[in-house]
This record gives sequence, C-alpha cells and structure tokens, in this order.
Amino acid sequence: MAKIGVMSFAHMHAYAYAEALKSLPNADFAGVWDDDAARGEAAAKLYGVPFTADMDAFLGGGLDGVIITSENMKHRAMVEKAAAAGAWILCEKPIAPNTEDAAAIVAACKQAKVGLGTAFPCRFIPALTQVKDQLDAGGLGALYAASCTNNGQFPGGWFADEALSGGGATMDHTVHVADVLRWFTGKEFTKVYCENGNLLREGINTDDIGALHLEMDGGLVVSHIASWNRPQSFPTWGDVTMELVGERGVVNVDAFNQKIDVYDDEAGKGAWAYWGGDPNRSLVNDFIAAIHEGREPAATGVDGLRAVEVTEAAYASAKSGAMAEVKRLAI
Amino acid sequence: MNVAIIGCGGMGRMHAQMAANSGFAIKVCADLNQAKAAELARDFGAEATTDCQGVCGRAEVAAVAINTPTPTHLEFIKLAAQHGKHIFCEKPLARTEQECKEAIAAARDAGVKLFTGHVVRYFQEFETIKQQMDAGVVGKPGFAKTFRGGISPAGEGNWFRDFEKSGGVIFDCLIHDFDWIRYAFGDVERVFSQTMRRSEPEVMEYALVTLRMKSGVIAHVIGSWAHPSGFAVKAEVCGSKGMLHFDSNDTSIQTNLRETPGEGPGVIVPGSPVDVSPYQLEWEDFKNWLEGATPRVSPQDALEAVRIAEAALKSAETGAPVTL
Ligand SMILES: NC(=O)c1ccc[n+]([C@@H]2O[C@H](COP(=O)([O-])OP(=O)(O)OC[C@H]3O[C@@H](n4cnc5c(N)ncnc54)[C@H](O)[C@@H]3O)[C@@H](O)[C@H]2O)c1
Repeated sequence: MAKIGVMSFAHMHAYAYAEALKSLPNADFAGVWDDDAARGEAAAKLYGVPFTADMDAFLGGGLDGVIITSENMKHRAMVEKAAAAGAWILCEKPIAPNTEDAAAIVAACKQAKVGLGTAFPCRFIPALTQVKDQLDAGGLGALYAASCTNNGQFPGGWFADEALSGGGATMDHTVHVADVLRWFTGKEFTKVYCENGNLLREGINTDDIGALHLEMDGGLVVSHIASWNRPQSFPTWGDVTMELVGERGVVNVDAFNQKIDVYDDEAGKGAWAYWGGDPNRSLVNDFIAAIHEGREPAATGVDGLRAVEVTEAAYASAKSGAMAEVKRLAI
Repeated sequence: MNVAIIGCGGMGRMHAQMAANSGFAIKVCADLNQAKAAELARDFGAEATTDCQGVCGRAEVAAVAINTPTPTHLEFIKLAAQHGKHIFCEKPLARTEQECKEAIAAARDAGVKLFTGHVVRYFQEFETIKQQMDAGVVGKPGFAKTFRGGISPAGEGNWFRDFEKSGGVIFDCLIHDFDWIRYAFGDVERVFSQTMRRSEPEVMEYALVTLRMKSGVIAHVIGSWAHPSGFAVKAEVCGSKGMLHFDSNDTSIQTNLRETPGEGPGVIVPGSPVDVSPYQLEWEDFKNWLEGATPRVSPQDALEAVRIAEAALKSAETGAPVTL
C-alpha cells in the first residue's frame, strides 16, 4: 500500500486522479492539502479523507508520494517541499511554466533521490499505445511529417490568468502532443515557429489559440494546434488528434474517438459518452507501481522539462516573429 | 455563344460539360494530344484540333476555356485576349505573380473578361460555412483550419508531379483554400509554411501552412499529396461563441468497390451529391459576368491567391515567415 496525498485541487485533473486513488487496490489515498482551504476541505469531504491546512504537517505525515495539481506557477515551490520530505512526486503538466522552474524541479527530485513523474496520461491512451506499437514494429516505415491538435473548451479561472498559469492555450495544450511525438519517435524537437493570440475569449490576459510549426531531429516536420477553441456547446471537452505521414502510408489517430452519440431532450444538445480506456487511472497506477518498484514513472520529470522547452521556445517565437531554437538544458 | 476548349484532360472534359449545360456551344476541342481532343470533340459534336494556339483566333469562337497545365495558361490568355475572346481559365491563373499580372493586363487592354476557376467559392459546404459565419453563428471568428488532399495526382505526362510545372501541393491544391480563406476572412498579413517533399518511395508532398490574416485571425492550412489513396476536404471555423466543422469523409454516399485482382484498386466516389455542381455555378457566374453582373471571383482575387501561394513556397524554403 502506497500512502498518497493530493496537493491542491486547483487543476480539475485532481478529481480524476483522486478517483483513481480511491479505486486502485494498492493505493491509500491518505489526505488532501490545499492553499485554498475551502476547496481542499470540500475535496477531502468528497473522497472521505482528511484535510490538512498546514503543508509541513501534511508532508510530515509519512506520505510515500504526492500528486501535485496546483496552478502551474506554484508547482516548483510545492515540488521542492515534497521532495525534501522524501515523497515521490507526480506533477501535473506542464511541469512548470518555464524551463527555469522545470529544471529546478528536476534537480530538487534528483537531489532528494525521489522519483518524479509528469502527468502525461496520453502515454496510457490505448489508441496512442497501439500507434506507438505500430510505429515501433515499422508498420508505417519512416515517419516524415505529422499534423496534430490538442483542442479544448475554454477552462476559465486561473488557466487564463498569466500570473498563475504563466501562459494560455499554447502552454496548456502543447505539452501533451510534444511528449507523445518524443515518445513515438525517440527524437527531440529542434525548432519551433508559433502564431498565437487571444482571438476567441474576451477579458483574459493569455492566448487562447496557438498554431505551431515544429521541426524534430532529422528534419521531421510537424504542425500542431494548441487551443481553447471548442465552444461550451461542443459535445465534449476537446481532442488529441494526429495525422502521421510515413513511408508506407498515413495513420490518423483521434485519441478519444471511442464514443456513443447521446441525444437527451433535457440536456438540450447532443453529447458523447466515452467508452474507451481510462488513461488517468493508468497514469496513477504507473505512479504507484513506480513507488513500489523504486523506479521513475513512465513519463519522467525530464520528459516534462523537454516539453516545457518546446512551449518556452513557442512563446519566444510568437514574440520575436521568427523561428526559435528549442534549447535543450543539460541535466 | 461558341466556346473553344483548350486542354482536353480531366478538367477540360468537366468544363465542356458545364459550358454546354450553361447554354454555350462547344465549337472546337484543342489538345496537343490528338486522341484526347478527338474523344472530347466527338462527345460534344465539336471539331478536334491540335492547333491549340490557332483556336484562340477563330472568328466563330467568342470565349475560350483554358484547362491546360498551369505554366501554359499565360500564353493562351494573351493569345485569346489579343483576339478579343473572353476567357475562362482554370486555377492557378498563371504560374507566377508576374505572369498573373501580365495575364490581367492583357485582358484589361483587350477589354475581355478573365474568369479564374476558384471553384471552392462555389462549393455548397464552403458557402454554407461562410453564410453561417456571416450570420454571426460563431460570434467573432478567431481561427480556421482546412485540409485538402489525398493521393498524389499525375496528370498528362506526370505534369502535376513536376514541381516546376505545377508548383506542388501548395501552389496547385492549397491555392483553393488560400483563395477561400481570403474570401471569407479578408487579406493575409503573413505566411509561414513547412513542406515535406519526397521522390522516394514515390512522389509525395505534405504541406503545413499558417496564414495570419490582417484581422488577426489565424488560419492553418494542411495539404497532402502524400496519402496512399483517396481525396478528402475538411474545414473548421472557431469563434467567440461557436464553431463550424465539415469533413468530406462524413458524407451521404460512400462507395467501396471490391478490388478485383488484375484490375487495380476500386474507386472511392468522393463528394456530396448536390442539385447543381459547383463547377456549373462557376459557369453560370462567368455567363452572368459576360451579361454585365459582377462575378464572385475577380482577376485580382486570382492574383492574390497566387501571391499567398508563392509566399508559402518561399517560407517553406527559407524557414522564415513571409509578410505580404
Ligand atoms: N478546379 C479544380 O477542381 C481543378 C482540379 C484539377 C485540376 N485543375 C487545374 O486545371 C488545369 C488542368 O488540369 P487537369 O487535371 O485537367 O490536367 P490533365 O493533365 O488531366 O489535362 C491537361 C491536358 O492539357 C493537355 N496539354 C498539355 N500541354 C498542353 C499545351 N501546351 N497545349 C494544349 N494542351 C496541352 C494535355 O494533353 C492534357 O490533355 C490545371 O491548371 C489544374 O491546376 C483544377
């Protein structure tokens, strides 16, 4: 049994991870800490676990691991505390709003000799793991190009407040696909060009659309749309899609396209009932297994850092108007 | 009114039919390939010839339809204009911006109408997207995305696969989307583009283009001549309060013919059945222009589409955005 605490319910994914902790047989959901006491208490009550308002007391409670689901800007301080307390860490993506914080997070965990995972549930989506197997088996031959999307509904709240998020849709919705492409190909990103802006939602101070053009080692060309462009009336939260163009053909993957069309007069709009795998549960399961086995989680802190290097370069490009180099930090 | 069809390949046959439907008489069919000219001429009760330049000067011909490979458009436009013939020309209007300017000047000086077949403006699905958008359904538009492509086309003598001739997927195929995006969202501020072009294991190209409009709207345009089969079109527009989405794979007819050994692959019948073909609507617009109405596509529009396509090609080559 691994004793796991959740730090902050600022990010809505916290609820999915909490559900996973409740349902996994080898996990003991030990408690909640949150800098927003009302939110933390409500979540603790929801899952029938204790809430601790004092972070040091919380981390001193003999936890084997923590899941950090705070605002991006607060990740670093929480990771540093949790690592010092000896807890293994699963940190929400993006692991940090900038490479400086991301590198510090990786270094803190290395120094404390605790495992660090980045919450990249895409690595556990059955559709994507099958494509990975297909690529590894050479089914598509060499990969030449890809066009991808990670679209979403507007999340509101701190996501669109730069002081807490560090950036908008380009930051929120680039890292998943960046990580999947690194995982698929074993290659690193070298350059990025980005057009972005606040073009859809009024009254926010971040971008809500990003169009990225990326290059990977060996000249692989990739485009990616990172967006909050799905309206509230859209049947689901958004998507992760990829068109992979290779030597032997084309693979189109729409990672969450396992759905039943639902029409309910009372709902007033069509909806999709998803019946595919539960990647969040698999992600948490891997984190628990990593603690038991004393290994790094499947997607490591370094994977999180590499993805942040891409978003940082994307913002640099959007600002300069030129293609930006993705600077790979030594770790 | 008598029409000469110049270039009797895939589009030549299409336009002969559309012109005939719109009440034009197909007088002569011209192609360097005698057999192709003869076959089309027989079907339309016309005369066949390989003297393609000569038909531009025929007294009995009032308009020409140019359906030859793109680099030959300018020569035929100039000849037809000199002889006072109205012109229906397939897109791209000509192979370069400079050539387009010469073509437009030739038509203007001769006082003839020069129509360019930017047919996407007449496709019902695209027109519906524009109407919905103009009616305010998505609120303020901020983002658009299109996809167009499929298997790499060959054409007579493989001219589509010769970059010098066709300009590849960006110049030949995505020019449709560049034109429609400009029609729907106004002028382009700058263009960034990447392309994957290969000759092995076969000729293929995949292009990723982002247009930043003067209005701020971001339009992402994907083109493929890299798919192993088929042809598809997709379009999406997102705004402050809604979105519009179309995918030709989700259509009212899907025919999947059994592949018989030795007969090659079965054909997937694309497209949506409509009352009036968009190619017919083009010809109606051309005809109405000859009678004094304003057409949906102006010569300047055709030139602007070529400018965007050339900017995309330049960006793909230099790795830098190109401001128009
Ligand atoms: N609007 C559309 O949907 C669409 C679709 C395909 C092609 N096009 C455009 O239409 C034009 C023709 O394309 P296509 O698909 O019909 O090509 P095609 O190869 O099928 O036909 C071209 C024809 O022109 C003839 N030809 C070649 N050089 C010639 C010359 N110098 N003089 C006279 N005839 C000549 C060839 O013999 C051939 O019959 C191109 O500009 C292309 O970009 C438009």
